[in-house]
Amino acid sequence: MPAILEFAEVVRAFGGLRAVDGATFEVAPGSITALIGPNGAGKTTVFNCATGTLRPDSGRVVFEGKRLDRKPPHRIAREGLVRTFQTARPLTRLSVRENVMLGAKDQPGERLTGWLWRPQAARGREALVRRRADELLELVRLDALAGAYAGTLSGGQRKLLDLARALMVEPKLMLLDEPMAGVSPPLRLELLNHITTLRADGVTFLIVEHDLDFVMQVADVVVVMNEGRVIAQGSPEEVRRNEHVVDAYLGKRHEAVAS
Amino acid sequence: MSTLASGGFWAFVFVVAGIYTIFALGLQLQFGFAGLLNFGQVAFMAIGAYTMAILVAKEGWSMWLAAPLSVGAAALGGLLLGLPTLRLRADYFAIVTIAFSEILRYVATNDDALTGGAQGTINLRGTGVAAQYDAQWQRFQAHVQSFLGLHSRDAAMLVLVWGVAVVLLSLTWIAIRTPWGRTLRAIREDEDVAASLGKNVFAYKLQVLAVGAAFAGIAGLFYAWEFSFFSPDDFEPLVTFFAWMIVLLGGLGRVWSVPVGAILFGVIFAGTRFFNFVPFSYFGSADRAYLRLMVIGLIIILTVVLRPQGILGKRQEMVLE
Repeated sequence: MPAILEFAEVVRAFGGLRAVDGATFEVAPGSITALIGPNGAGKTTVFNCATGTLRPDSGRVVFEGKRLDRKPPHRIAREGLVRTFQTARPLTRLSVRENVMLGAKDQPGERLTGWLWRPQAARGREALVRRRADELLELVRLDALAGAYAGTLSGGQRKLLDLARALMVEPKLMLLDEPMAGVSPPLRLELLNHITTLRADGVTFLIVEHDLDFVMQVADVVVVMNEGRVIAQGSPEEVRRNEHVVDAYLGKRHEAVAS
Repeated sequence: MSTLASGGFWAFVFVVAGIYTIFALGLQLQFGFAGLLNFGQVAFMAIGAYTMAILVAKEGWSMWLAAPLSVGAAALGGLLLGLPTLRLRADYFAIVTIAFSEILRYVATNDDALTGGAQGTINLRGTGVAAQYDAQWQRFQAHVQSFLGLHSRDAAMLVLVWGVAVVLLSLTWIAIRTPWGRTLRAIREDEDVAASLGKNVFAYKLQVLAVGAAFAGIAGLFYAWEFSFFSPDDFEPLVTFFAWMIVLLGGLGRVWSVPVGAILFGVIFAGTRFFNFVPFSYFGSADRAYLRLMVIGLIIILTVVLRPQGILGKRQEMVLE
């Protein structure tokens, strides 16, 4: 099966530092692909090249056969490639429900001319959007808080809100930036369940993550980066045994733990 | 203190408040709802006023054609300012807007052939001819007065300004509750998140800058008609900060807070003329005129410190993180 997302010789430098130095890898449709590597390996830069936050200096990012690397973030999201942020970012002075409804696509009322000249169409769509938002809030068990300001949510609830909001965009591929950072054990389990359920529904995941236990537990494919390049990829088992990876990353970590 | 009891005085205060309501509503839309730090709002007021005055006094256009065109010109000014600058970070954008308004004021001061220069609109048709742009407006105002059976021109002006203000306030109130308004508020909160959900942040900012500029243009028209004469000095950056005071005093992110802030501003602005008691009487009357600016500055500071949500704002929205 052809890859849903492809990185080909992606290069991105900051001044003299080549943060990403010719990274090439693929994400298979329906997979959970994890991107790991030590600090400074270039994971976040690769991630940002896929979301449109950064433009690669050279190389290509291709999603479903279409190049993404010259598109702005909002176009990429509309293609079906939706990201979350490392720390949850609720829109604090909007209600929880409004946060989720914002993700809706094809709302004519979002255009200045749309709500002025086609208020009926906007209202009709809005009713559907609201229903879908409430379903998603129920899914992440925030339905009781739908009317509250998003800024009143706890850290864990914010993570779940981010997830529901991203799902509203109907993603084909979700890019998760360290979803397990600062997450409590019960929430961790909850997020993990959501990810596997969504994958079963056909959503592909590319996850940047530091938490190796989580990666080994959930990922089908692990891509390891070091110093701006991909040094290994394969199943969690293969990667775990790969000596380059052990040298670059896991080895150091194990030594540190041992000493 | 007899002026305080005169109807004419209070009509004037409320006409000024109405004009500033329309003017500050544009800023509320831009900053209060979309987070755009616009410190050059007065530029669009100037574009509205000058375009109308030039087209009517110099080119002999009908007011009914010149007025809507002037509002369009102000909106176009917003688009032209926004296109190259809206991608800047908020603080840099703020600097550019204030520079834009000052550049326009300097051009208006120095391009005598276009604007009448420093002497103002009286000079629009060259020296020696007293140019006038509001004859048609005066007639219209008289019609409105007799039609409504009002006892003064001022009362007719009051009805016209506040009629327009209430229409614009209502439209804004509705707009904010549409999906369009929701997207604006999302951009105010976090534009990266809005973009990650597929919203074209730049396009929304451009729209809101142009709509807010059009509001300022309408305010400029009423300003021109109310005073029958104006010059570039009427469009100092201070005027923009009056709008900021109104928005902060009334409450950010609320529609009906704008007229509340504007009326309070009108009262303070006109009321400070009556500071003729100790300690203010130690100052000469010319110096006392500047006291009003100090009072207004003090009010902004006290509002931000003691009641950051303004009169009608929600305290809770100020403490959410």
